[in-house]
Amino acid sequence: MTVASQVKQTIASLKGTRGTLRVYITQTRDDETRSVFTDALNETNTIIEDLEKRLQVLEFEEPQYKGN
Amino acid sequence: MQESAQILLKSIFLFILVWAAVRLMGKRNMSQISPFSFIGYIVIAIVAALMSINLINLIYGFIALLVWVSFPIALDYLSIKSKVMHELINGKEAVLIKHGKIMEENLLSVRMTGEDLLAQLRSKNAFNMADVEFAVMETNGTINPYLKSDKKPVTPHDLGIKVAPQAEPQTIVLDGNMLEEPLTSLGLNPQWLTTELDKMGVSLENVFLGQVDSSGDLYLDLFDDAIELPQPKVKEMLYAAFEKSQADLTTFAQQTEDPEAKAMYSNNSRRLEDLLNKLRPYLLH
Repeated sequence: MTVASQVKQTIASLKGTRGTLRVYITQTRDDETRSVFTDALNETNTIIEDLEKRLQVLEFEEPQYKGN
Repeated sequence: MQESAQILLKSIFLFILVWAAVRLMGKRNMSQISPFSFIGYIVIAIVAALMSINLINLIYGFIALLVWVSFPIALDYLSIKSKVMHELINGKEAVLIKHGKIMEENLLSVRMTGEDLLAQLRSKNAFNMADVEFAVMETNGTINPYLKSDKKPVTPHDLGIKVAPQAEPQTIVLDGNMLEEPLTSLGLNPQWLTTELDKMGVSLENVFLGQVDSSGDLYLDLFDDAIELPQPKVKEMLYAAFEKSQADLTTFAQQTEDPEAKAMYSNNSRRLEDLLNKLRPYLLH
């Protein structure tokens, strides 16, 4: 498995957690819990952005593995 | 014949009268009343009993009942209005243990022996006298101990642990019937319940009890106990997914040779670690 595909996997799993967080933000009744989950969602978003930027560089460096 | 009819009518009448009088005298639990109001209740009971079987004159009985019903009500009213009257009528609570030492004079004044005190403390789970900092006898006779601070049950606050706030769960299914009111108070609708039940693969008729906790997870108990239901584990899985991503990022940081990428990976790995610490009380409990 190439580095690019490993990074891709991590991005996918982080995107999955983002979805679950969104569900809990809508269905929780407690304001404090909701704000903690919202913070976590924002943090996850920035991490995903960073990783996606890195993924672009990796795919540029090893174009033969693009799409794996 | 005429006398038995008289007794019947009197009894029915007194039954209703005494019931109304006792309701009027307040709603306190029998075990919490003071000795004196206990006497009041007994006098009312005896007078009513004697009246209903014709042992005393109806008029005399009524006069006695009137006094024994109206005085407690008047005294109760006075004790609500005035602190002095309250102490005069109900007595004052007696401190039996102070700073871990038994107050023998107070024990004597409430007519208790050391053994009585120990028995009462044991019933409050204080078996060891050395654990009790303070104990007080309330006006209704119960003894309430206050344990020394190092003998009290540990709370999350003592341990410095953050716990997620949790509101009371709402029961939304009972005996196979959907309860509309709690469901709407949660901001959910019957369609939500139908989709959740479909997800778990059970029908509403098979659900004996369904509760939604404050984070919106549904817990079910079925009539058919042979069916194993997947209990909500989404939060634990969410936590595990974050943990795995964090481990991945640490690995990437070690593998890459590009210094800029290394900094980015380790920075994000640290951020995820902070996030995990923050989420732990909310996701794992």
